[in-house]
Amino acid sequence: MDGSFRKIDIDQYDEDVLLESELYEPDSRDPAQVLSDAKQKAATVRQSLARGDTAGALAAVLDGAPYGPNVEEAKNLNLQTVVSILNSTKATEILNIVRVLSPDAQDTLMKYLYKGMALPGWGDVSGSVLLGWHEKLTEAAGTGCIVRAMTDRRLV
Amino acid sequence: MAPPELYALGQNPTAISSHAFNANRTEVAVSLNSNDATIWERQGHEWKQTETLAEHDKLITSIDWAPNSNRIVTCAQDRNAYVWQQSPDPQTGRMIWKPTLVLLRINRAATHVRWSPNEDKFAVASGARAIAICSFDPEGDWWVSRLLKKPIRSTVLSVDWHPNNVLLAAGSADMKARVFSAYIKDVDKRPGPCVWGDKFPFNTICAEYTSHAGGWVHSVGFSPSGDVLAFASHDSSVSIAYPGADSIVYTIKLTSLPLLTLAWTSENSLIAAGHDCQPLVFSGSHDGWELSGTLDDPNANKTGSGAARAGLGGASPVGRLNSAAFNTFRNADSRGISNVPGSSGPSAESELFTVHQNTITSVRAYEGAPGDVARVSTSGVDGKLVVWDVAQVSPISVTSNIVGRLAGVRI
Repeated sequence: MDGSFRKIDIDQYDEDVLLESELYEPDSRDPAQVLSDAKQKAATVRQSLARGDTAGALAAVLDGAPYGPNVEEAKNLNLQTVVSILNSTKATEILNIVRVLSPDAQDTLMKYLYKGMALPGWGDVSGSVLLGWHEKLTEAAGTGCIVRAMTDRRLV
Repeated sequence: MAPPELYALGQNPTAISSHAFNANRTEVAVSLNSNDATIWERQGHEWKQTETLAEHDKLITSIDWAPNSNRIVTCAQDRNAYVWQQSPDPQTGRMIWKPTLVLLRINRAATHVRWSPNEDKFAVASGARAIAICSFDPEGDWWVSRLLKKPIRSTVLSVDWHPNNVLLAAGSADMKARVFSAYIKDVDKRPGPCVWGDKFPFNTICAEYTSHAGGWVHSVGFSPSGDVLAFASHDSSVSIAYPGADSIVYTIKLTSLPLLTLAWTSENSLIAAGHDCQPLVFSGSHDGWELSGTLDDPNANKTGSGAARAGLGGASPVGRLNSAAFNTFRNADSRGISNVPGSSGPSAESELFTVHQNTITSVRAYEGAPGDVARVSTSGVDGKLVVWDVAQVSPISVTSNIVGRLAGVRI
């Protein structure tokens, strides 16, 4: 049977169609700006990590994380930066680090953990590291943080 | 300290879809997850079913009982609403409830219904991306509706009336809480200006707020004065919005599961409940809001199983997850211990530490004038109806880590 009808974009015939862009406030920065911000943050994080300031590095990378369409490169770069922090942190320090994050940063970190889990084997993402962080973050920020990571359409 | 009054309606607990008390709280109309609404009369500490309101042919979603005109309105997934009025039976002379069909003109399920403060209108929220504002037409001798449509993009989940009988708040699955004008020329006097605006033709949008992290707005409520709007959404947050030139929205992010329903108890406090199975108390003012506690005292000995509670409580940081059900699976998973269901009594098996044993879907004022509510009633999926004293607030730190935090203020 011919299945090509399944590929027709039926939404284009619906005048009431709800567009992705109507579901959340778009990022006010333009994509090039977002990418250069992400690059700058990657550099800041490397400096902070060299000083041993993991909490500061994490707070910096989670602030103004790229979301929305057309910023794939910046998203990947930011994910890489987050993962590098996650991987370089000792398991015993995690709880103290996530506790001092702002509630917004905690929610953003949870989004990155889930994104990482959705990309097994991407870069140096390691499932056991992510699960370790997930456990501690849930301990600090509760199940509400997981709920927000799932409901929020501003995907990182 | 009086413990919360706990009632189970009927022998087998069935989820309560909705509940509404009459004016003097001697009767309650509920729908036990069915096509029928039932009326129960208080007899001492028990409730006895006296009547069944059977007319809907799909699940009833919401019930409201007008205290002064003593009329009940029900709405259901069959896209209909009925107004029920008591009249004497021509044969026996006994008072019975007579239904009147309301022409809602919606093509999806009705989800929520509320009488206006003057009881001359009611609003029906629906899945048809519309709210039907219904008023009585004496010439046709029926209830007619006008639809609020724009700019709703998804199912409307809840409505709440402003005390001026004109403005209506609505929360919907497009992640917005809105304030509409539901002004009907033949019914309403022209309202005076208020914080939400000066002129209110039908379907004026007076305010629109987006939930913090993009969750469905499950519940909305005007403060007793009508000058403040609170809404609870599925991103586990509750927001309190002050309109006007210096518009402020306070958002409290919870560490626990999302709230589904809320009710104001005074101008400075409200009670909200949901998937976390306990009523939480929020308090604040124009300067800020915070989670101040819970009405569900975790240390109280409830329903004779306090020992089981004490044995389970407080150990896990993840609060509610530390239930017997959770432990059963954890034991099976990590230690290979299988626990045969029912071996140690199925009820004790999966008991939560809270009074409600499942999601609370409705919280309503029970006693006291608007703005000075002394007690609230809750009902939920566990089929329990509970009446709480709002003054008995337990600090939240006792119940594991369910802590609300004040998030950034959005201006």
